[in-house]
Amino acid sequence: MDYKLAGRVAIVSGGSRGIGRAIAELLATEGARVVIASRTLSNLEETAAHIETFAPGRVHAVAADMTDPAGVEDVVAQTRAHFGPVEIAVSNVIGHVIDVSREGEGPGAGSFASLGSQDYRDEFRQLFVSSWALARACIPDMQAQGWGRIFNIGSHVAREPATHLPHVLPNVVRPAVAGMHRLLAARLAADGITVNNILTGSILTERNASYWQWLAGSRGQTVEQVTAEATAHIPLGRMGQPSEMAALVAFLSSEQASRITGQSLSVTGGTAAHV
Amino acid sequence: MDLEIAGRRAIVIGADDDPVVAACERLLSAEGAEVVAADDREATIVIVAGSRRPRSTLLEGTGVDDLYSAWDEAVDTITEYRATAERMTTGGWGRLVWIGSAQAKSVDAEQDELGAVVSLGMLGLHKVVTSELGPGGVTANAVLRGGDATDEDVAAAAVFLCSAGAGFLSGITMVVDGGAGSGVF
Repeated sequence: MDYKLAGRVAIVSGGSRGIGRAIAELLATEGARVVIASRTLSNLEETAAHIETFAPGRVHAVAADMTDPAGVEDVVAQTRAHFGPVEIAVSNVIGHVIDVSREGEGPGAGSFASLGSQDYRDEFRQLFVSSWALARACIPDMQAQGWGRIFNIGSHVAREPATHLPHVLPNVVRPAVAGMHRLLAARLAADGITVNNILTGSILTERNASYWQWLAGSRGQTVEQVTAEATAHIPLGRMGQPSEMAALVAFLSSEQASRITGQSLSVTGGTAAHV
Repeated sequence: MDLEIAGRRAIVIGADDDPVVAACERLLSAEGAEVVAADDREATIVIVAGSRRPRSTLLEGTGVDDLYSAWDEAVDTITEYRATAERMTTGGWGRLVWIGSAQAKSVDAEQDELGAVVSLGMLGLHKVVTSELGPGGVTANAVLRGGDATDEDVAAAAVFLCSAGAGFLSGITMVVDGGAGSGVF
């Protein structure tokens, strides 16, 4: 199916690895011109070089802190200068909690009893402000063209918090992000802009793989045991792939999906229990 | 109907000009609960009424500082919950109630976008609190006000959630909007 994305200009934050990278790759494959942004230039350059091999001239990398509204504005300005007005914005900033590259469970891990006020403020910046700032910075371009696609990559915990894990912070902030997107969708529909929230569940990214490894170590189990336990709860019987997140983003970016907006859609292999 | 909260200490927090605060206090007192100051650490009933911001918006005129300021309402409520939680779990009984905006459930309800964001954070928190403090006999629930609900309507729902009979309700959201919201679930 021709999604009619050829020439569209997209920004993908967190675009150098995992789900963000898969989205950038697929949008570029479909003919879009994609700016990938994240903190680490070396990761961005490696991903951009890979995309260049099959989509020459359709990728550009910008290093920035996407949780800082000023950093976001800079990326949007550079995108305009390089490719033109922004038409597709994908916010893909992860919380600290499963970032085991930092320290153990991640600085955001904790319980209701253990976490303090500043933890909730930091997570709000990480998950909410990043998504809000990217949408806000791109909306004028989209309004001017009467066409736009705004996405947040979130987690299914927005609907059903993972209360068995010490992930209080995303459990609290992610529902607020989902609400923000729903409200923006209502506001922007008349401008031809759709706003959707894509919720992950058990997607096998590099970061998730290292999280499983860390969890296995902390529990004295093997990685196979931990992942088998996690997979046992998934009706489809396997983890999802980043490309399966990207597939949904690409479809919702298409002309065919122009009447789908204000949705929170879970890519979980069927684990979602809510009706 | 005896709500079986006579003698319990209760805190009601909210804006000075929000009549729902006084309405809650009146109903609690009528049931024999003792309304105490916000820093009373013996309280086992805590009701927090979020600010009402008519026509608050996520876009025009709203900067990142406005977002942080709104979010701090959730942060301050969590702090208040934490400050009283230990006493509640020690005694094996506690009630936490957040009064927020119905726009958290349905964008048709009213125009308080920042209030919706704050309330959604609180709904997520309630699921966590339910899991973590539930074994200690503590419940956490929300009342979302919208439509033409009166302060008495809202307060009645909030105080019901503090009752003994509401002891098996936790992590729920009760929308008091006179049927204005259009969502089925």
